[in-house]
Amino acid sequence: MDELLLSGLLAVALLAFLASGVWVAFALMACGWVAIALFTGRPVGQVLASSVWGASAEWALAALPLFIWMGEILFRSRLSSDLFTGLVPWMARLPGRLLHTNILACGIFAAVSGSSAATAATIGKMSLPELQRRGYHERMTIGTLAGSATLGLLIPPSIILIVYGVAIEESIARLFMAGVVPGLMLMALFMLFVGVWSLLNTDKVPPPDGVYSWRERLVALKRLAPVVGLILGVIGSIYFGIASPTDAAAVGVALALLLSWSSGTLTRESFKASLLGATRTSCMIAFILAGAAFLTTAMGFTGLPRELAAWIGELQLSRYELIFVLTLFFIVLGCFLDGISVVVLTTAIVLPMIDAAGIDRIWFGIYVVVVVEMSQITPPVGFNLFVIQGLTGRNILQVAYAALPFFLIMVLAVVLLVIFPELATWLPTQMTAR
Amino acid sequence: MLRSALDRLYLASGWIAAGFLLAIFAVVLGQVLLNLTDVLLRWTLGRPVGLLIPSYAEFAGFFLGAASFFALAYTLKQGGHIRVTLVIQHLPAGLRRWIEVWCCGVGSAVSGYFTFWIARLTEESWRFGDVSYGLVPIPLWLPQLGMTLGALVLTVALLDELQRVARGKPPSYDQGEDLLGPNG
Repeated sequence: MDELLLSGLLAVALLAFLASGVWVAFALMACGWVAIALFTGRPVGQVLASSVWGASAEWALAALPLFIWMGEILFRSRLSSDLFTGLVPWMARLPGRLLHTNILACGIFAAVSGSSAATAATIGKMSLPELQRRGYHERMTIGTLAGSATLGLLIPPSIILIVYGVAIEESIARLFMAGVVPGLMLMALFMLFVGVWSLLNTDKVPPPDGVYSWRERLVALKRLAPVVGLILGVIGSIYFGIASPTDAAAVGVALALLLSWSSGTLTRESFKASLLGATRTSCMIAFILAGAAFLTTAMGFTGLPRELAAWIGELQLSRYELIFVLTLFFIVLGCFLDGISVVVLTTAIVLPMIDAAGIDRIWFGIYVVVVVEMSQITPPVGFNLFVIQGLTGRNILQVAYAALPFFLIMVLAVVLLVIFPELATWLPTQMTAR
Repeated sequence: MLRSALDRLYLASGWIAAGFLLAIFAVVLGQVLLNLTDVLLRWTLGRPVGLLIPSYAEFAGFFLGAASFFALAYTLKQGGHIRVTLVIQHLPAGLRRWIEVWCCGVGSAVSGYFTFWIARLTEESWRFGDVSYGLVPIPLWLPQLGMTLGALVLTVALLDELQRVARGKPPSYDQGEDLLGPNG
């Protein structure tokens, strides 16, 4: 069978399944079935059962439901208002003032939640009305929220990096660490942009609503302390090799329960809701991963990814050209698929190419996540856009327009990552080996 | 009668999954607490005892498999499984109904096929007495049985949805997308 025809047929089959609304996990399995049944002589059913079994009952993946649960608990706690009131006294003097609270609060919440949509919803619910009431420029208010909420994907614990790590059998702890510096860099770039914009548009920034003494600032710090402690505990114990990501996740859940209990927001109802929410979400992701594991095995049997990698190799693309083409490919893919599906499809098909081109797998994971972040704020399918549309009543295109400068900053971040790969690879190499 | 029995089945299956999630939490946290105790003992007594929940990593993995699969049907009913609705959402109602029939049909077929083969894998593990490699040899058919039952309930749920949409009723998984999922 002609390879070109084969790959074309599989691509069309997958697209047809996905576009016609078949659930992603089933679409992946059905496509894997087509690949094996039509093009190899192997017994499909046994391969399906054993690859799904192998991908589902895995220790490293156990971090996934725990981190999701931790985010669900804190999402239902008083955390967002604590973050806001704790940050305000510190930001009041900066150019751009409270716009920075959006960025920092999102960054902090991202470090306790692995999801960007949850970050946008939690922080936006609190900060949007407050900023609007104080007369901040609406486009910048929405833009800072939409842009910084995407950090939920990059800053550890990141659900999508767990998915990537499990799919390519790479250390999740190292991936987490690789996300720290690029995440902080993005926050710094966002804040820099807000500062410069405010200096150029002084008429659009309201005056500070009060002078805060150092005493008030220190009191405010007390509201930030518990969550910052939680973050340092979870990320620090992974960095120093005290705990695996799964261990750290369990401790994170315990601390989140404690935090929520001490602030009086832990009720029987909120406990049940957070547990069932985590059950559903982690089930959805685990099922897609199971489908992807089968598709990856199936693709391996057909030999297509190898052929594709060899073909790309023959094109003699430079690393930069390959990354450029892939970036365009991912942005288009991200317009129609959610981030997790993009990542699992990548590992099934693109990874041999990456290996052949000699690109570091951990670096590539961070790169993919930043590109997927960008797709969260591009229409027509950008989950952050939907969430913020729900919060503000502005339509998707208006929200996307407000987020455009932040999209461009992320493009800049990708360029920086390509030029200075150490941004992602440095911290993991510094980690205490376990 | 059958209706309420089926709905109870999906919900019960969801609660079993939530129970397994709690079990993961308990096992992993238990081991972490034992590690901490060990560190304290090393400081006070000068030697670690090596406290251990045997095979705790394997247990956590098996619990995860069970949690994921028991939750499948419940997650489906709650509209929690991701799919691309961009193309189909603006179709006229008549055509949309047949698209839903197609989706549930593909889902039932794949799910049924998988259920059959995971059941065979479970049966083989049982027949050959396969066990896990860890300190505690756990018979593999046990966690595999959990996955088989979860997959079976999912197949039933999909067939249930298939007969609903085929008779022109709205599917129960279409209750609005769960935007707060981690998909974004």
